[in-house]
Amino acid sequence: MTRLLSVNMEATVAVILFGVGFTMLLLHRNLIKKIMGMNIMDTAVYLFLAAKGYIDGRTAPIVVDGIQETSAYINPVPSGLVLTGIVVSVSTTALMLALTKRLYEQYGSLDLDEILILAKEEEEKRT
Amino acid sequence: MSIVQNFPFFSIILAMFSGIVSSILPGKRARNVSLIMIAATTALSFAVLCFCIRTGESYTYMMGHFPAPWGNEIRAGVLEGLTASMFGVVMFLSVLGGVNYTASDVERSKLNLFYIMIDLMLSSLLALVYTNDLFTAYVFVEINTIAGCGLIMIRQKRKSMSAAIRYMIMSQLGSGLFLIGLSMLYDVTGHLLMSPARESVARIMAGESYVIPMLVILAVISVGLAIKSGLYPFHYWIPDTYGYATPTASAVLSGLVSKGYIFLLIKIFYRVLGENFVIGSHLINVLYCFGVAGMVMGSVHAIAEKDARRMIAYSSVAQIGYIYMGIGLGTEQGMVAAVFHIFTHSITKALLFISAVGLYEVSGGRTDYHSLRGAAYRNSLAGIGFAVGSLSMVGFPMLSGFISKLLFAASALRCPGKMLPTIIVLAVSTTLNAVYFLRLVITLYSRQQGSEKDPEGEAKERKRPASGKSSWMLRLSILCLIGLNLFLGLMSRPVIQAITDGLAMFD
Amino acid sequence: MEGQIILLLPIVYPILAGMLVLSGKGLRENGRLASLVTAAALAVQLVFVAAALARGGSLTIWKLTDTISLTLRVDGVSRLFAALTCGVWLLGAVYSVSYLSHEARVSRFCGFYLIVEGALTGLDFSADLITMYVFFEMMTLTSLPLVLHEQSREAVRAGMKYLFYSVAGAFMALFGILFLAGVSSGLAFSGGGILTDAAVSGKEGLFKLAAFCMILGFGVKAGMFPLHGWLPAAHPAAPAPASAVLSGLITKSGVLAIIRVVYFIIGAERLRGSWVQYVWIVLALLTVVMGSMLAYREPLLKKRLAYSTVSQVSYILFGLSLLQPTAFVGALSHIVFHSMIKNALFFIAGAFIVATGKTRVKEIQRLGGALPLTLGCYTIASLALVGIPPASGFVSKWYLAAGALASDTGAFRFIGPAALLVSALLTAGYLLPLTISGFFPGGEPAAGGAAKSGDPSWWMLIPIAVLTACSLFLGCFPGPLLSALESIAASVL
Repeated sequence: MTRLLSVNMEATVAVILFGVGFTMLLLHRNLIKKIMGMNIMDTAVYLFLAAKGYIDGRTAPIVVDGIQETSAYINPVPSGLVLTGIVVSVSTTALMLALTKRLYEQYGSLDLDEILILAKEEEEKRT
Repeated sequence: MSIVQNFPFFSIILAMFSGIVSSILPGKRARNVSLIMIAATTALSFAVLCFCIRTGESYTYMMGHFPAPWGNEIRAGVLEGLTASMFGVVMFLSVLGGVNYTASDVERSKLNLFYIMIDLMLSSLLALVYTNDLFTAYVFVEINTIAGCGLIMIRQKRKSMSAAIRYMIMSQLGSGLFLIGLSMLYDVTGHLLMSPARESVARIMAGESYVIPMLVILAVISVGLAIKSGLYPFHYWIPDTYGYATPTASAVLSGLVSKGYIFLLIKIFYRVLGENFVIGSHLINVLYCFGVAGMVMGSVHAIAEKDARRMIAYSSVAQIGYIYMGIGLGTEQGMVAAVFHIFTHSITKALLFISAVGLYEVSGGRTDYHSLRGAAYRNSLAGIGFAVGSLSMVGFPMLSGFISKLLFAASALRCPGKMLPTIIVLAVSTTLNAVYFLRLVITLYSRQQGSEKDPEGEAKERKRPASGKSSWMLRLSILCLIGLNLFLGLMSRPVIQAITDGLAMFD
Repeated sequence: MEGQIILLLPIVYPILAGMLVLSGKGLRENGRLASLVTAAALAVQLVFVAAALARGGSLTIWKLTDTISLTLRVDGVSRLFAALTCGVWLLGAVYSVSYLSHEARVSRFCGFYLIVEGALTGLDFSADLITMYVFFEMMTLTSLPLVLHEQSREAVRAGMKYLFYSVAGAFMALFGILFLAGVSSGLAFSGGGILTDAAVSGKEGLFKLAAFCMILGFGVKAGMFPLHGWLPAAHPAAPAPASAVLSGLITKSGVLAIIRVVYFIIGAERLRGSWVQYVWIVLALLTVVMGSMLAYREPLLKKRLAYSTVSQVSYILFGLSLLQPTAFVGALSHIVFHSMIKNALFFIAGAFIVATGKTRVKEIQRLGGALPLTLGCYTIASLALVGIPPASGFVSKWYLAAGALASDTGAFRFIGPAALLVSALLTAGYLLPLTISGFFPGGEPAAGGAAKSGDPSWWMLIPIAVLTACSLFLGCFPGPLLSALESIAASVL
């Protein structure tokens, strides 16, 4: 069992990081920490994907020295997926940071629970 | 290859392009571009539907120069065409109905941004419907999420912001799970395109290897998409989100966005994992249990609500529970019932939100029960629209909700283990639905009591407008939605036939 | 649409007429005009119903899905119910012309009054279970505004109670309907039942449960224990013509549904001797006695009549539960007689309340001098309900008792008639005090005042008199009615 885990070390670490990120996103009260968690979670997936593209003993898919056999290069597709994923992650992070900034301006707090309570009280006062 | 076969691709590109173009247009132009684009894409989707019905089979369309399994593909069949047309129609009527409210809710300088979000939302929905590639699905899921978030926060009211952040957090949880699920699937099968992936999955299942990873993949993908579509107990973000957005946004979010994710889930079940595997694992039962719980708990929460907007939002939770219950039955009829309910719910929820806003406008902008008393007399068309929507939700015969309930019950009867709980829960939830919807309808139609008027109430009464003259767009939208509802209720046979055919060619 | 389109006419016409009345601007201010228009419309409806019944035949209106379609057909049961409904409805409209002059928003009442008539006719003409269910729901929903009419707190609460009981009952019945849809190839009514042995085999337990749910579910509308709670709430809160038709005819729609389900779909033979039948008998008899007792102790006049309805409709259900031809005839005849009598009683109660301004029985005393005609009609109707020959109630009770004794239900052969007897005594006890104190006012003056006005106007008096006369006449000459009912019984048992 431990041998499997160490052989697939990247996947193992990726899953552990995913768990860490997921839990941070879910359970932390601080918005910035939630966003950090989300990033850790996404990065973990990229690690997983990138690791899956790697094949032992081979090199990056850039043709050097005229070597054209596919058996010399790793799988290029996951790298493309990772790039796309990074773009997506960045946009979402940007959006969430902008929202956080707005919320901080309006409520003066970065604590999600506190913000929700304040929002609820305000709603009740209005009606 | 006939020109019609290009239409799915055209519709996605058209939607995206109009989004890009709208960024330099002023608000009103952007709105018109949006409306024209939605109408055009709906027409294109409808053409695709007719084409597929005529040929009787679905086709794949290569995106780019590389064939499967290396390139990207989209796939169109009867079910995809039908769903795309339905989404387009509902989006058109939602945008049309809410035009004036959008104009007043959103700052003038930012109005075109709203319509950009709508365009992107439509493009991502269409892509989710048509795509045959998992990673493309992920990208468009994220676009959908971001566009949805934009729609929620465009109002810039404090409550919308907190609703938006809650929405984003829950969405990202779901997306993260979905992403790792599909990464693991790629790892195990080596394919991202759905059809080749299926062959790999079948080989794996036959070889009895990787059993646990497949189960984990199935669980993670299902939970991820379930979180995003608001299945109980992941529904906490729904009431705030749907309740405080501008009416077009509420209608689009509740009617279409969650349905897009559910459609993607059904697609993955059929086209990647295969029904046998999905039903054989007991994940279906888990979805069923949560669906049933959602049906009851959603209604229970709705009864406790005093605010009409949140009440309608909670009823969405219940209705999404219905859909998951249909999926969870694990039979073909159950799936047909679930897809039919997707259509019913989109139309009815859009009708409810759009009519409701007509009623709030003549009640001084207030949404609690007391202020809405007698609102139907002040704005009769909105009152009728709301009454029709409510009756459809309860399951009154002749309306689409009745056919939905009939389909669910009929499919439950063919599923021995789950029959009794399903029927009981259907009965209980119908009664609960009747409680809160009809209570609100009766409140809408009751007169102000002479003895109950107090001086403060009189003062408020004077401030309210004498009668609500809604714009013609709102009225047209409500009428069309009522018409669609009746159409689904009375002429459901061709629709159900199309859904059944579509599901048969779905994999 | 294929078949006799004329069958659609008595359904669509009142609904359209009702919608016109609801929206007519001129009628909104002038209540009396609205009632007159309604009465005239119903007179025309009577002609349409007669024409449809004479033509007979069947009609497929619409195909909802592949297996479900809306169909209408005229048979013996439909003739009975449709004729009864239309006749009584017309009399109710005539009564309303004068009675509703005390109310506001008459046009709204009249509009929905007409629409419910259309829905009820549709229910009577339904030829299969789904059509019946559709019209049943329609009727529930459209009769709700009649209960809510006064819009007082009490009326709203009563309306909600009516709604929820009805929705719950309808859904219970729907469960049964869906089960039947699953096991049988069609759901069209046919005397003696349409289920084959093959369809039911292997699922007997579930089948009996489904049958029970349907009886209980439709029994909610008929006010059968334990789901009778909406009746005593709805009747006092609604205006007198609404209470009259609620008691007289809308409850009978629940009975009609049960007849169709038990005799025309499931088939009496399948339920004979099963636990479903026995539980049904027990519930019916329980309601008979309990309803009469609650009526006896009830101080409010309209609520007393409501409990009386609960009890009397269970007479009918008891007769149906025996699954025996004589009892069946007794039940059907009691449907007719009770409708007439109860409508008459509610109209009279309305007249009393208008005349004295009081609603409690103790306060409505000594009316003999002031409203002799009305009180006389009250006495005749009460005697009919108790079951004194030669009034009609006697005929139906006789058939019920004879049917019970002839049936093969064990101890219930005797318990049944005994319960009916006890209930008859209680009926006398709760109906006749008004008569006695009215015509023989000995002793000190009553707590409330004497009547403020004389006999009600002709508009109110004529329907009362017609219904009372019918209830007496049909008791003296029941022949034609009974032979018609016996032929219906022969077709199902």
